[in-house]
Amino acid sequence: MDRILIDLIDITKSYDDQVILDNLNLSIRENEFLTLLGPSGCGKTTTLRIMGGFETPDSGQVIFDGEDITSLPPNKRNLNTVFQKYALFSHMTIAENIAFGLKIAKKTDTYIRDKIHYALKLVNLEGFGSRYPDSLSGGQQQRVAIARAIVNEPKVLLLDEPLGALDLKLRQDMQYELIRLKNELGITFIYVTHDQEEALTMSDTIIVMNQGYIQQMGTPEDIYNEPQNAFVADFIGESNILDGIMLEDKLVEILGVKFPCVDVGFGKNKPVDVVIRPEDIDLVDPSQGTMQGIVTHLIFKGVHYEMEVEANGFCWLVHSTDMSPVGQRVGLHVDPFDIQIMNKPESEDEEAVSIDE
Amino acid sequence: MNRKKTHFIGRKIYLGLILFLLYAPIGTLIILSFNASKSRAKWGGFTGKWYISLFQDNAIMNALYTTLIIAFVSAIAATVIGTAASIGIHSMKSRARTICMGITNIPMLNADIVTGISLMLLFIACRFTLGFSTILLAHITFNIPYVILSVMPKLRQTNKRTYEAALDLGASPVYAFFKVVFPDILPGVVSGFLMAFTMSLDDFIITHFTKGPGVDTLSTKIYSEVRKGIRPEMYALSTLLFATVILLMILINTSPKEPKSRTKDPSAKQRRLPVRQVIPVALILLIVGGGIFYRVQGTSASNEQVVVYNWGEYLDPEAIELFEKETGIDVVYEEYETNEIMYPKILSHAIAYDVVCPSDYMIQRMIENNLLAEINWDNVPNIKNIDPTYMDQSKSFDPENKYSVPYCFGTVGILYNKTMVDEPIDSWDVLWDEAYKDNILMQDSVRDAFAVALKRRGYSLNSTEVGELTRATNDLIEQKPLVQAYVIDQVRDKMIGNEAAIGVIYSGEAIYTQRENHNLEYVIPKEGSNVWIDSWVIPKNAENKENAEAFINFLCRPDIALMNFEFITYSTPNLEGRKLIEDEEIRNSRIAFPTGEDLKNCETFRFLGDDVDSYYNELWNKVKSS
Repeated sequence: MDRILIDLIDITKSYDDQVILDNLNLSIRENEFLTLLGPSGCGKTTTLRIMGGFETPDSGQVIFDGEDITSLPPNKRNLNTVFQKYALFSHMTIAENIAFGLKIAKKTDTYIRDKIHYALKLVNLEGFGSRYPDSLSGGQQQRVAIARAIVNEPKVLLLDEPLGALDLKLRQDMQYELIRLKNELGITFIYVTHDQEEALTMSDTIIVMNQGYIQQMGTPEDIYNEPQNAFVADFIGESNILDGIMLEDKLVEILGVKFPCVDVGFGKNKPVDVVIRPEDIDLVDPSQGTMQGIVTHLIFKGVHYEMEVEANGFCWLVHSTDMSPVGQRVGLHVDPFDIQIMNKPESEDEEAVSIDE
Repeated sequence: MNRKKTHFIGRKIYLGLILFLLYAPIGTLIILSFNASKSRAKWGGFTGKWYISLFQDNAIMNALYTTLIIAFVSAIAATVIGTAASIGIHSMKSRARTICMGITNIPMLNADIVTGISLMLLFIACRFTLGFSTILLAHITFNIPYVILSVMPKLRQTNKRTYEAALDLGASPVYAFFKVVFPDILPGVVSGFLMAFTMSLDDFIITHFTKGPGVDTLSTKIYSEVRKGIRPEMYALSTLLFATVILLMILINTSPKEPKSRTKDPSAKQRRLPVRQVIPVALILLIVGGGIFYRVQGTSASNEQVVVYNWGEYLDPEAIELFEKETGIDVVYEEYETNEIMYPKILSHAIAYDVVCPSDYMIQRMIENNLLAEINWDNVPNIKNIDPTYMDQSKSFDPENKYSVPYCFGTVGILYNKTMVDEPIDSWDVLWDEAYKDNILMQDSVRDAFAVALKRRGYSLNSTEVGELTRATNDLIEQKPLVQAYVIDQVRDKMIGNEAAIGVIYSGEAIYTQRENHNLEYVIPKEGSNVWIDSWVIPKNAENKENAEAFINFLCRPDIALMNFEFITYSTPNLEGRKLIEDEEIRNSRIAFPTGEDLKNCETFRFLGDDVDSYYNELWNKVKSS
């Protein structure tokens, strides 16, 4: 789990003067489930395609297993890709699709037959070998695409938004399926998605990208609980992001009200960004709240209620299993460790990032 | 409700009318192809005999195979080039792609005649000899855009990722293309091929301009046949051509469909096999068969050849066969309709003709423009058979008898109906005689009309004197009220039908009319007239000059001259040949063989230069509009 398998060094890529990736550095460890997460146009797919060999970086190097593969064509790389829209060969049967790479590798017929059988079993599609792709459902086609990739026993499987075209239920099933596969095969998965929930569910490591930069890299818990900037906070889950002033260690002023917090080392009277997750806000009796407000919206979401509370000129998003009707006066309470303090972006680039979405 | 119904019927009638108008001409053609009667106006019962005789016609079958081979080879080549081009264009950036698509589309919209002429000019500029290969190149060129047009949309539909997926799985780019991309765009490629095939099959204009002598596709063959008068076999051939194009269109429109869902079932696949594969297989068989046929035909051919460029129907085909048999020289034979069509072809040097048969004034023009080679008389000993009178006459356009050998000649004279005139006619004056008002037929052509007026006053028919021409013009204006009609070919029919008493006519026609109506008499007026001579000449760029001389010598043989006289019925200047004519009446006919006395005052036309030519035209317009 420790060894670094892929290393991207100072990768820069631009199309028609538009910079997609700017000096990207990224190390991927063996046997990791790594997710590149970000909005469309953030450079995540380009990063994946550079690893797959479908794009050549303008500058920088791709090191794979200790070797520089920057200019190696895709067919010479020991990794396989699962494409967004499956990219199955429609004029071949499922079995022929799966056998495609093996035939090129000049495997024996028996070997190929066994592999097809094994792969179909692995993706729960036994008996589908003689059918054609267009007679299969989206989820089934996706599993064929995965089977076609993994029979070649690549060291790394690149997945480019593989579940994007599926409906919600199917997508959730496939998420578990992918985790199971990854554990069974014991290979590295590099996964690209813009769906933060998907990323949080499956990954060992998440890389949040925006406008060609890595915004944050960490475990799903780190990313969710400790977003390092407003962009990450905003992109991962729902948040209340406010301007605040760090008055002193462990005390922040938000909307003119002082909140105790746990963060230290920001200095005195320093402007900061404050993130408070909606589920971390407790609605209490007005007299007990740090701040008072009025419920303006109420939506039932199944697991919880989603409410908007107008308080001190800010519209707070609140998730709670207890319902407060619209128009009710409530008090807002936040535990000190649920207040996330972040430095204001300093560079222009970071500024641009934080406005997005 | 009622209104709705009439509305509906009205719509149907309208649609029916449109379809009728669209297909009535072709329907007529198809019906006529089964008509046992040769007449276009009469239904002589149903027959398939035209189809049978069509397939027995060697020249047409040859043209058919040429057409198929050119269509097939050019379609294949265009498909390969066009598909490769599409892939290239497809991978361009969108701006460059739009520009490229525009550029490739333009040749399709361009007028065929422009494409044809520009290709011809290019071939000439590159010193290509026009022939089979230039037709093929031209067809490949104009077919490429059609292939691109039908491959591009397919290429746009294909998922780019499938190609990448193949690479990802270890395929080399070439392997990935043929295994993954090609099957996806195959329907487009096939319909592009069929479209190119159809276009090639269909083309006339571009072929017409880029073809050389002796090579004909069906369309150019039909065209040259039709010029001579439409034979019913042509209806049959056109019908077959139409049916083929319909068949191909149906193929193009049905082939790209892919069955939506299917399972691999070998028996099902085998059952499907025939429908779509029989036709291409049949096509290939046909072409291979044609190739073999060609081979068999070609085995007797030697390398020696002579390229002949002649008027339509101006040489007995049997004479050609005889020549080939006797000498072993292949005759490549090509025809033209007028001197004016022939001239630019010689001038362009695009085709190296060996023997051509222009008229007097055109020979003069060709000599002046240094286009003719001197004939080596040692190789043409049979020149001794030619009547010296005509060698002398030739001197008016070939002053030293260096370039031309007379082949056919004729005079212009007066044809009159003995029962409708009082006394024998011997002068052009009769055409100005009030007594024959509305009984006179004049030739509707400048030089012929002026020749009459000029000769009547004793001037040269090649006059360039303004005074002489003004008088002739005034005379023609004065004559106008007496003239029943200015005509060309109808003189013959009108005189046979007793519709007029006097007409100006060519001697060749006179013999025929006299046979039909024994009251008709032909005379060359005493003031003299026009005598025309068509002679064999050898262009300077001839590649087989000695064969050309052998050919001319062969035609000067008395028996061959007789053969051609009987075939063409125009007068032959071959004295020895004339002696072989069995029919005494014809042999001694003064119409066919005027005496030196008759020709005393006769002249050949000369080319007078462009300025004088247009002056003549101006005067003629004055006459016609007065």
